[in-house]
Amino acid sequence: MLRVGVVGVGTMGRTHAAAYTRLPNAQLVGFYDMATEAAQRTASQFGVKAFDSYGALLQEVDIVDICTPTPTHLELVVKAAEAGKHILCEKPLGRTLQQCEQMIEAASKAGVTLMPAQVLRFFPEFKQARDLVLAGAVGTPVAIRTRRGGPYPRAANDWYADFEQSGGPILDMVIHDFDWLRWTFGEAERVFAKALTFKGLDHIDYALITLRLRSGAIAHVEANWADPGGFKVDFEIAGDAGMIAFDSRHATPLTVAKQDAGGGGGGVAVPESPLAEDPYFLEIQHFVDSVAAGQPPSITAEDGMKAVEIALAAIESVQTGKVVRLGGGA
Amino acid sequence: MAVRIGMMSFAHMHAYSYAHCVKMLESEGRAQLVGVADHDPERGKQAAQQYDTRFFESYEDLLDAGVDAVIVCPENVRHRPLTEMAAQAGKHVLCEKPLATSKADGRAMIEACKAHSVQLMTAFPCRFSPSYIRLKQMVQAGELGEVLAIRGTNRGRNPGGWFIVPELSGGGAVIDHTVHVTDLCRDLLGSEVVEVYAEISNGFCHGDFDDTGMLTLTFANDVFATLDSSWSRPKVFPTWGDVTLQVVGTKGLAYMDMFAQNSTLYDDREMRITLQHWGSNIDYGLVSAFVESVATGKPVPITGEDGLAAAEVAFAAYESAKRGEPVRLPLPE
Repeated sequence: MLRVGVVGVGTMGRTHAAAYTRLPNAQLVGFYDMATEAAQRTASQFGVKAFDSYGALLQEVDIVDICTPTPTHLELVVKAAEAGKHILCEKPLGRTLQQCEQMIEAASKAGVTLMPAQVLRFFPEFKQARDLVLAGAVGTPVAIRTRRGGPYPRAANDWYADFEQSGGPILDMVIHDFDWLRWTFGEAERVFAKALTFKGLDHIDYALITLRLRSGAIAHVEANWADPGGFKVDFEIAGDAGMIAFDSRHATPLTVAKQDAGGGGGGVAVPESPLAEDPYFLEIQHFVDSVAAGQPPSITAEDGMKAVEIALAAIESVQTGKVVRLGGGA
Repeated sequence: MAVRIGMMSFAHMHAYSYAHCVKMLESEGRAQLVGVADHDPERGKQAAQQYDTRFFESYEDLLDAGVDAVIVCPENVRHRPLTEMAAQAGKHVLCEKPLATSKADGRAMIEACKAHSVQLMTAFPCRFSPSYIRLKQMVQAGELGEVLAIRGTNRGRNPGGWFIVPELSGGGAVIDHTVHVTDLCRDLLGSEVVEVYAEISNGFCHGDFDDTGMLTLTFANDVFATLDSSWSRPKVFPTWGDVTLQVVGTKGLAYMDMFAQNSTLYDDREMRITLQHWGSNIDYGLVSAFVESVATGKPVPITGEDGLAAAEVAFAAYESAKRGEPVRLPLPE
């Protein structure tokens, strides 16, 4: 039985915690959060402990699950590694490449598992698309488009709005797509991007990013924190022998509209896409099973760093107006 | 009085739709289809028969037959010589897009029409889409606030034929599919493109022509846009392609999928699923506007300059892909 402590009691911390409670080989021991009241509230909801300090949490667990704002990852990961704990760390792994390197080094030195939570790999539509691509269903991929986003995200201390912390939608959100693109189509060679990030707008951000992959394929990534019409995801993989297209707006097997939504007038139709196993559970299950078996997980810390590298290159392109070449690429 | 119109070549398939629109205007008493000339006489004769009009053995004969205006739809590289010929004969010109395959050609066409006091209109029918007109109204009324960014697509399939012979087309997918959305963006923003970056490939068809284009445009007013101009629709795709614009503003976001007004046909005999478009005929709006300008002498709504500005973005895209970096506009004359 692996004992787990979750750091950070925001949406993702609670989602991860719920997954651990359903696993036969893990036990959720408790939470730590600098916001002590929130930590206590969440802990009592789960019937577990709220630790007074991160150090106290580390003394009672085998696994640390880090769900805090990005710039805090480095210190939390290094301390966990030094204490010999296995680590699941939310994406993006680090705010800078140097931070990522330090985390990887600390985990490697301590001989512990460090897995970045690139959960998109457990979303069935994205995993299936990759399986189809690798099976040659579209021939050679040529033009790939992804879109992700919706309203501007709100969280504790409005930290998403602080670029120094979050890196904006390019680092915080479409890091998912960058990881999936690498996983499915291979490494990126160069990136060119435009964004609203540095235009001083109030809670509106948006980026359009073009990647040239080493395979020759071209990928277009949209990062949208400017759509009040709700969160949407889509992708399209066009190859020389076919195309795969997915649009979250059309993948809604259940839609409910209530006569009175409480506002007096009629309600808005709310679409749902229920799954037997949610991707977050599958992600946590894979991580725990890997740790239990002493096997490396399918997502490495290096994968987490490579995705950060693409995101930072895109941000650099936005800032300089230039094409940015990646990782000593061709 | 009906405007007398001649068709100069049916090399571009849009000529058939334009001829059909002229016939519609003929039935309204606003236009008359005088005849057809084509450097491919078989094609020209067949088109003349199809539209119940006369076939002329040469372009000169057509221009001598008392036409007021011509619709020019040859291969892209022939836009210039046919437009110049028509201008010299004093005929107004509606020219298929892209206006030209080089900046020099486009400039010469504009100058020729100016010198002979005839109007030159570029065939950008998307401007007449009711969805686009509605979008533009909303943008102009400030409903989206200040426009910040645009994501556009104009995707299709490899049309084959002369479209994939760069000596005749001036390129491939990028020259074919860059100009429509570029024109809509220019029109919507009232601002010119000042920088173009493009990733281009030939990955779909593996030919000596480009079939994939992912462009990033920056406008003088600091708005940025991307435009996917690829021939990326599979052979079994249920329709020809798309024209889409997502407009991001300070007060909201609008998404236009111009040709989304369809029903779906499931056809067992053909073993195909196709979208049956029932939206408005935008080509009719285009040809009708041209005819009205010729009849009344009022300026055409889409000029040769508009056509050249959009084509220049495609030229810059090729230059950018060659250099591997963004290219500033205007390009040297």
